[in-house]
Amino acid sequence: MIFTDAIELKRQRKLAIVWGVTFLILFPFLVTLGLLMRLDQGNLTTLSPTTFYALMTLHGLGMAGVLFSFSFSALWYLNGTRYVKLSTGIGYFVYFAILAGVSGLMIGTLIGKFGPGWYMLYPLPFTGATWSHWSIGVSVISLIVLGLAWLTGILHLLYTLAKEYGGFTHILGWQYLRKKENKRDLPPIVMITTISLVPGVFGFLVAAAMLIMYLLQFFEPTLNFDPLLLKNMVMFFGHLIVNITLYCCVGWVYALLPEFTGREWKTDKVLVYSWNATFFFILFAYFHHLYMDFAQPRSLQYLGQIISYASAIPATAITMFGVIAQLYHSKIKWDIIPLMFLFGMAGWAIGGFSAVVDSTIAVNKVFHNTLWVPGHFHTYLLMGVVLFIFGFLFYLFSEKGNRHGGGVAKTGFWVFVTGGYGFVLMFYYGGVNSIPRRYSSYAGISINSTATTGVHLAQIAVLFIILVLTGLLIMYISLFTKLFRRKEIQ
Amino acid sequence: MCNLTIFPTIENTAGIISLAGALLVYMVVIFLLITASKEEDKTSAKHKVYKVRSRYFWGLTIFLIIILFVSLQFLPYPHTGPKVDQVITVVGSQWVWKLAPGVSHENPKNFTGGNELSLPVNKNIEFIVTSSDVNHGFGIYNSQGVLLTQTQAMPGYENDLQYEFKEKGDYKILCMEYCGAAHAFMEATIHIY
Ligand code: HEM
Ligand SMILES: [Cu+2]
Repeated sequence: MIFTDAIELKRQRKLAIVWGVTFLILFPFLVTLGLLMRLDQGNLTTLSPTTFYALMTLHGLGMAGVLFSFSFSALWYLNGTRYVKLSTGIGYFVYFAILAGVSGLMIGTLIGKFGPGWYMLYPLPFTGATWSHWSIGVSVISLIVLGLAWLTGILHLLYTLAKEYGGFTHILGWQYLRKKENKRDLPPIVMITTISLVPGVFGFLVAAAMLIMYLLQFFEPTLNFDPLLLKNMVMFFGHLIVNITLYCCVGWVYALLPEFTGREWKTDKVLVYSWNATFFFILFAYFHHLYMDFAQPRSLQYLGQIISYASAIPATAITMFGVIAQLYHSKIKWDIIPLMFLFGMAGWAIGGFSAVVDSTIAVNKVFHNTLWVPGHFHTYLLMGVVLFIFGFLFYLFSEKGNRHGGGVAKTGFWVFVTGGYGFVLMFYYGGVNSIPRRYSSYAGISINSTATTGVHLAQIAVLFIILVLTGLLIMYISLFTKLFRRKEIQ
Repeated sequence: MCNLTIFPTIENTAGIISLAGALLVYMVVIFLLITASKEEDKTSAKHKVYKVRSRYFWGLTIFLIIILFVSLQFLPYPHTGPKVDQVITVVGSQWVWKLAPGVSHENPKNFTGGNELSLPVNKNIEFIVTSSDVNHGFGIYNSQGVLLTQTQAMPGYENDLQYEFKEKGDYKILCMEYCGAAHAFMEATIHIY
């Protein structure tokens, strides 16, 4: 382990806290956009479809971007204070570039009403648009800025880790597969950082290529690209970024949970095999997003289902059982941080399970683009990723002395969890009742039962979203109390 | 609010299986919350968990392989086997569906068709689905609001969807891919006689 001096530690910590506070500001704002959408779908307020879809686009892109950015920054912090020396200069450059990109997106969506959804499925941004023409250019350029910022940060982190551990194959853990004794332990978080972020590089490169095509089309409207190719590209990227966001979180769970259980969690052969398998699953599971494109080669459809199923094996048998082995009879005290990690695992498992169900082609034909899909990914993200993030924030904002979660934090946590599950349940139930997703209003559906069910579920969801926001507020009180107390101690 | 049918739909079955999965996950969580307070030597606790893990691993792997083989028999993709009784061309446009019998050789932009159509019951119908502008989704709903099957309508591509309507009545086509402002208002009707 590298020795990190106190000044360096302080600088990295400051950067991490800047990230944390930014996350805590942007997140509830984006949740509120979700609340507005549900209010509109429940006929409790009226947005024009153009406004609804602009909010939906900002909500989707914003959430995915903010969650990934924060997860990345957490890995940056943990690697940079424990194993390698990272440049805070590059860290701040990435931070400000991301802020610029997010601001550009806000301008594009909130002012220009840019609204083709997070996935901007070609050629929707350019065809029959109800948003201003300039908003396309501003949004595409903002996304390019975001992509370049992430690429810069990722490459710096990966390069530094590879240099420290003796090469790229070493941070993938391949030395464990050889017979020889290992001279040096590879911390699991370093391997997981690598396994998550290398596919990330591929993802951002593909996204960059796609965005450049969009930019060309923006300046030269007569161009024509292949919609199926572009759909493959955007789904490759979209699936990947959300997938690796969760794996980044898993990285810090491997690093931090042992501090609470007192049981070490080390890299071994099984861990290396399973995470290297995950590497491929991250890259090729996305085909399950194109099952309903019958023109896609049949073999890729099969591959989509097989890989989606297979990815459940390392996730559950290795990581989740690893968590069980950490916790079982460990005499752990259920402080807020391990509690959030445990529930985050549960959210990941449940959101993952409903995804495996939907990745069955025979099921997908009746669930594709129904509310089942937001049901799945909101469970995975809100009850998985977001809980992992709050667990990390409680860790970051406190010190060894005041790390045990007080009653306030736990109260907020339970309110949040109750609200969150209620909210996603309404999506799932909507999916079971065939309610289509991305409908600004259900009033136009001429099947009465479908329309009324859609409206009622949205209304019930509103109540649960208010619980989510309340839970967040309570957790904020605890978080900021800890942060300011930490400052006083210093 | 619920749709009660004698035969459980795929939707209901998948919903119940997922709910069961979620409950199972929370049983494990509760088990851990309770048992974690006990203390046991690290290696012996680990040993116990790993024993369960290896059973779980083999059980899951075999289970997934079986489900793969079974479920891959039920694909919505066009079969070459059964004969097609009638062909319908479908073109999605912002924001209407156009349907007409027969194969169309026209540019989808110039295609003419109605948003209502009558078809016979218990016949194998082939829908050739495409789009004249952006992506749409061709989803067939029965009168109780159950989504029966779907395919994408992608510009420049034709997706062939075969479906046999088993009951008489009115079926609705809803758009299953976000296609712009009036996406939620893009419908068509198929009367089955
Ligand atoms: C309580 C918090 C949240 C609320 C109330 C909420 C609400 C919503 C709603 C109403 C939709 C539109 C659903 C539809 O009809 O298709 C949506 C879509 C979406 N949400 Fe959330 N959401 C929340 C949290 C999150 C989180 C944590 C993420 C993390 C990435 C997220 C990412 C997305 C994405 C990517 C979409 C799809 C946008 C699109 O289709 O283009 N949401 N959300
Ligand atoms: Cu549509």
